[in-house]
Amino acid sequence: MRKTLFVLTAILLAISLGMAACAPQPTPAPTEPPAPTTAAPPTAAPTEAPTEEPTPAGPPDLTGETITLYHFGDLSGPYAAITAPLIHGAEDAVKAINEAGGIYGATLEIKFADDGGSIDEAVAAYDRFTSENPNALVMITYGSGEAEALAQRFAEDKIVNITAGLSAKAFYGAGSGYTFGLGSIYPDQLAFTMKFLSENWATYKPASAGDEIKLAYLSWPTAFGQGGLTAESRAFLADLGIEIVAEETYDVSPTADTTTAILNAQAAGANVIWTNTLAFGPAAILNDLNSLGLRDQFLVAGDNWTMDLATYAFLADPAYGVGLVAPFPYLWWTDTDNPGVQYAQGLFEANGRPAAEHNVGYLLLVAGVDMTAKAITRAIDTVGYENLTGEAVYNALIEMSPFNALDGVLQVDYSNGSRSPHMSQIRMIQGGPDKFIVIQDWAETPDLRPAE
Amino acid sequence: MGVPRPAGEFDTSYARDMATIRQPWQWWLLLAFILALYGLPLYASQSMVSLVNRIAITIIAVQGLNLLTGYTGQISLGQAAFMTTGGYISALLVNQAGWPFLAALPLAALGAGLVGLIFGLPSLRVKGFYLAMATLAAQFIIPWFTRNAFPKVLNGAQGLNVQAPLLFGIEFNTPQKYLFLSLTVLILTTIVAHNISRSRLGRAFVALRDHDLAAELLGMNLFKYKLQAFFLAAVYAGLAGALAAHNIRHLNSETFNLNDSVVFLGMLVIGGLGSNLGPIFGAIVVELLIEFATLFGPFFITIFPSTAAGAVQALRPLFFGITLMLFLIFEPRGLAHRWQLLKAAWRLRPFSH
Repeated sequence: MRKTLFVLTAILLAISLGMAACAPQPTPAPTEPPAPTTAAPPTAAPTEAPTEEPTPAGPPDLTGETITLYHFGDLSGPYAAITAPLIHGAEDAVKAINEAGGIYGATLEIKFADDGGSIDEAVAAYDRFTSENPNALVMITYGSGEAEALAQRFAEDKIVNITAGLSAKAFYGAGSGYTFGLGSIYPDQLAFTMKFLSENWATYKPASAGDEIKLAYLSWPTAFGQGGLTAESRAFLADLGIEIVAEETYDVSPTADTTTAILNAQAAGANVIWTNTLAFGPAAILNDLNSLGLRDQFLVAGDNWTMDLATYAFLADPAYGVGLVAPFPYLWWTDTDNPGVQYAQGLFEANGRPAAEHNVGYLLLVAGVDMTAKAITRAIDTVGYENLTGEAVYNALIEMSPFNALDGVLQVDYSNGSRSPHMSQIRMIQGGPDKFIVIQDWAETPDLRPAE
Repeated sequence: MGVPRPAGEFDTSYARDMATIRQPWQWWLLLAFILALYGLPLYASQSMVSLVNRIAITIIAVQGLNLLTGYTGQISLGQAAFMTTGGYISALLVNQAGWPFLAALPLAALGAGLVGLIFGLPSLRVKGFYLAMATLAAQFIIPWFTRNAFPKVLNGAQGLNVQAPLLFGIEFNTPQKYLFLSLTVLILTTIVAHNISRSRLGRAFVALRDHDLAAELLGMNLFKYKLQAFFLAAVYAGLAGALAAHNIRHLNSETFNLNDSVVFLGMLVIGGLGSNLGPIFGAIVVELLIEFATLFGPFFITIFPSTAAGAVQALRPLFFGITLMLFLIFEPRGLAHRWQLLKAAWRLRPFSH
């Protein structure tokens, strides 16, 4: 039996190696040649022109062609609440671009796969999409886990990944390089906010807090939740003289009990709580702080996703949200004087989206798709439609930098090896829903990308 | 169950009596099936190959659970945690220690097996629901460990990027190439599991499952056999975890979670507990259901645009839950049993009963 098994193993191994060596490689399918060139139809969003317009032979007419974007995220798992508006923002933006004539006449198509928040499923979705289109240009992802897990594959297959998952590892980890963010990476956000608070502590410190910032990092025990704390952000905080006195975790659930974590933070002498979560993360903390009667001892801050209209859905009392601080690497719906925000608002209303989706995800993805469409347009201008690849879009994103996506809803600069925006505001809730008041106008965040 | 055969077909030697495959045409059919699987990259899409990879790896994990739950009757909710263990061991050995994948794989299995032994210890004192709760601890402790222990090595919650396996100069970095690896390991684990179930050890497992008190009175060391079952289950999970980690090429504490452990148990129920075909049928059916739900979602939205948003979110758990419920009610012995009935009906036609 043992001998037979050994022989069988050897044979199977030999066959496998032989066949693996001869396995077909997925070869990029050549894109169809473009139709004869005529006039260029307009593209959708009222975005500022790129810094350079290299169009030597005039704009092509790509009527009848289809350019497909792919996106996948969690619609049936723990992050579904934030993913749905992101997806709808992307879909509505694509629809609007097509209604305005597409990209040089080519129809922009967007295909979605639900990965349920599972990395395994995200890889499967990636394989499905690359199988369907070996020359995929852009894929949009929404979670840090997905972005991290697929970063190497995106780089190997030269497919641009536009992501809302702002983990530093996804952008700058070994083997990555094709992942571009729709916001500052979480360590930058943490450092930016804490720097501002340390400079303005006298103004913003809670009534019962001490004169020195003592930080408690209370977050989810996930790649996303722990995304703010890196060697670089720790060193930055140490340079600011901010001590991290507690690191606690709580469940990824709107009904998570954070009281133990809060009491541990209090026992450690913390007066600032940072949470790297979605809207229901800070809501759980704020609810429990009020239940414990400790609200006046802590300033609560979090990453960009923590401050959203959705936060109010999870607060026991809307007043509990007052005082929450978060970086804002984009404009907000209340910035109605901005044409980009007006454009997004128009899309939102025209598509009859529910009020619950009038949040950060929708706005950000309208900007993200606008940015993507502009990059594809520029890539076509540069290399021609017949040579359009993910690498050309990658180059276009870098060449366009710095630029304002959707008229400044997002300020982006992907030059100098940076693949995440470094411009952000800081806002504080100072009233009911939509009272996200700017307490720090656009400024450059610290650049805490990890060492290569 | 015994396999009914037509009258007049006798076994004339012990070897023939022990044979798994009795007829030459069955050998040829099996060979053709295996070749068709190995040849998938030549005629199937990358997406299909990727799906087969996932199914193969899942089957390995469920085979381990079948040895523990199906044959030995010990419920475990920690199989995914042992996958995490195997994944991390292999990733660390390959990435950081520079070990070849072929050496790291068995060590990952062994390491997971040893961890499985620790979580099998409570089986001496508790069983049934209480044992399930005890093994559930693995699903909390192991991910916690990977997040919090040795952050410089395990990289905390961010986890590890895992290299694609490199064997004799060939990098298994595409689903097409990886298929040869996952299928090879699956064939080996299937043979081993099948032989365990027919060995003295397998019979001891069954005795323990069917009546532990009687087995003990007959002189069996229950604790030893229970621990062996836990060890084997975790070894299989470790293998599956290592294969999955190198396939996904990323690993963190969330990669294999409690939901996976529960789904593995569901696969076993659907496929058939205590049958070597059970894990294969169960994993295929459930993975295809998940795939179907994923593909069906957009179609569902076009049919019911107003109600789709909430319904699509529920499709996957809905499909899985309904299937599991139907099997528990109408075919608690799983698809493997149904397959045996079909085969018997075919062999004994026209007298199928």
